[in-house]
Amino acid sequence: MDAAEIPLKAPPVPTDVPTSDTEQIERALIDASTRVPVLMFYTSAIVWLLLGTLLAMLVSIKLHAPDMFSGVSFLTWGRVRPAHTNIMIYGWASMAGMGTAIWLMARLCRTVLRHPLLIITGAGFWNLGVLLGVGAILTGDSTGYQWLEFPPYVAVILFVAYTMIMSWAVLMFRFRRGDRIYITQWYLLGAFLWFPWLYAAAQLMLFVVPVQGVMQAAVNWWYANNLLFLWFGAIGLGTAYYMIPKVIGRPVYSYHLATIGFWTYALFSSWTGMQRMIDGPFPAWMITASIAATILTIIPVATVGLNHHMTMKGYFPLMRYSPTLRFTVFGAISYTVFSLVGVIISFRSVARYLNFTQASVAYSHLGLYAFYTMVIFGSMYYIVPRLVGREWRYASLIKLHFWASVYGVGLMSLMLLSGAIVEGTNLNDASMAFTESTQSILPYLRGRSLAGVLMTVSHFVFAFHFGLMLFGLGRTASVPTFLNPVESEGSEAHL
Amino acid sequence: MNEQTPDPALRIRQGMDYGEHGDVQEVHAAIQREKLEPRVGLEPLSMWLIVVYGLAVFFGGAYLGRYSGNFSGDGLDPLGGPPPAKKGASTQGPEQQAELSPHDRGKKVFNANCAVCHQATGLGSQSQGYPPLAGSEYTSGGSRRNAMIVMKGLQGPLTVKGQKFGSAVMQPWETLGDQKVADVLTYVRSEWGNTGGPITREQIAALRKELASHPASFTEPDIQAVPPDAELPGGEQGTAPPKPGEQAKPGAPPKK
Repeated sequence: MDAAEIPLKAPPVPTDVPTSDTEQIERALIDASTRVPVLMFYTSAIVWLLLGTLLAMLVSIKLHAPDMFSGVSFLTWGRVRPAHTNIMIYGWASMAGMGTAIWLMARLCRTVLRHPLLIITGAGFWNLGVLLGVGAILTGDSTGYQWLEFPPYVAVILFVAYTMIMSWAVLMFRFRRGDRIYITQWYLLGAFLWFPWLYAAAQLMLFVVPVQGVMQAAVNWWYANNLLFLWFGAIGLGTAYYMIPKVIGRPVYSYHLATIGFWTYALFSSWTGMQRMIDGPFPAWMITASIAATILTIIPVATVGLNHHMTMKGYFPLMRYSPTLRFTVFGAISYTVFSLVGVIISFRSVARYLNFTQASVAYSHLGLYAFYTMVIFGSMYYIVPRLVGREWRYASLIKLHFWASVYGVGLMSLMLLSGAIVEGTNLNDASMAFTESTQSILPYLRGRSLAGVLMTVSHFVFAFHFGLMLFGLGRTASVPTFLNPVESEGSEAHL
Repeated sequence: MNEQTPDPALRIRQGMDYGEHGDVQEVHAAIQREKLEPRVGLEPLSMWLIVVYGLAVFFGGAYLGRYSGNFSGDGLDPLGGPPPAKKGASTQGPEQQAELSPHDRGKKVFNANCAVCHQATGLGSQSQGYPPLAGSEYTSGGSRRNAMIVMKGLQGPLTVKGQKFGSAVMQPWETLGDQKVADVLTYVRSEWGNTGGPITREQIAALRKELASHPASFTEPDIQAVPPDAELPGGEQGTAPPKPGEQAKPGAPPKK
């Protein structure tokens, strides 16, 4: 497919967009100042994404073909899995999220990024930390705490890197211009401050002054769940709050809904986490408090979901054309699905069947992939052309990326959730041997590997496309890359 | 900031690339066409959303109240039973296990240890040298031969149901412990149409003492030396109806 197939008419000189020339120059200056750091974050993130995807395939296949590479110590399942999760969390999701967050913060604060060299150095340190950590995990020096497998010395490196990166992102807020603070800024500022709090608290309570016994598991799950909500969730929601109204050119539906959604989200989601250990040896009230908090997360979910829906109302057909909108809206819808699945699997009566099964893996992927990663992909489709001064080369590749991701993550969640029901029911059957009950999930795990192939394809396609952009091989046109030819005159031309 | 207005013709120039032009005033087309930075509307809260809030708070609160376990620091029971009840609950584990019949317990032991060779169907594998257990003359007759093989293992040529076996070696299973050996024998002797009677933990314990000095695996002649209907001491008589006198003996006590 070639650029010739992509639309269409030369864009009219944008008369209906009431942006003054000063504002355009201001944006151009901001984009130029964020160009190198944000692209560095994106490039590193995508390299980690490819690496993590290959490891994920290995993890998935080894679950139903355990003899593969069983002779190679650093490719055993117990090492490959934490390597996969940590690469995805700290390498892909965090770095891509920080890249998007820095760009959004600069745009919304209407200030150029000062001292980009510090952020670039920070990104370098962060990469070094992840590299060392993954090396440590693969050579057997893992701490054994879920999502915190990096050894403590890596945590120090990550912390230094984070300080370099985020102190400047926070300072941008200090130097903001204009008197309005937009919703996205609330979420981003929150995320910038929540992550060090979560990470430091978990490191302190697990490694520096370790709490005793089973409470380590409580700290561990509190960290994992809150990282999902308060770090990735906050960046994801903030990005969606920016991209949706920005692309369709319409104000967000309601300020009141946004306020309620933000504060209840911050309040309730920090209480969650313990529900992942139902029937574990913990005081019942701890687990119950987390379940109650999970039930209460319905409030922010319904509020934010409604706010996005009402903003989009009447503009859904635009998803046919705009890659950014398509990815972001899919992610925003997945946020609702992810949260509702989270509420359902946290009930004691359901957890009796689904706790400690593959359902927890499905839940993490719904949150980190179907919601967060898709929103971040959407933001990349918006931001990268503004940074490299080119348009995405092939609409067909974007479509392939989108559909392979959607079918991949959809099939994966479906397989793991239905497999978990079978596995959990069999585990509860006292007359069934343990090996039998675990074997009953095998067909579903094979299905999951198939889903993994789809996602691998989508990631390599995206990385290739991003590489073209990075090396200046994008289209030089003044029309954006629409997913489908635009048939009628309209606002589509400004996506 | 420089307020100089760029030439309109320049604004729609195509293919700007920051890498080639140092002048940032040559604004990329994407920036020109993009919409205003997002704004926020002021629509009010809808009534039904407030209802959803109310329901969520109500159910969340009710759940917390119902399953808080009285907010006790050492209460693992979400319903907050009194401490003596909790002590009772903690001893329920072994009792619940004992509720499974010896046959079902034996099935779990079999699937975990024996099914690898003898298969879950009990038919073994002729090609790999694993004799069948279903309908075998060793699993249906007296309990003694049966128990000897499981305790110490078996090697060398063997004829089962008229077929020769011998390439595979059966390892001794006495390390499983008396209870598990008794359970698995009970299971094997009553499954797949086999007609052997149950075997108790005490019988295996007695046999263990008797065989304590026996060094290695049995062979076919060793087994043949034992009469096919020989029973372990202290058990019921094979398939024959139990004698009145033996009824008084303790059967399989549930305690482990």
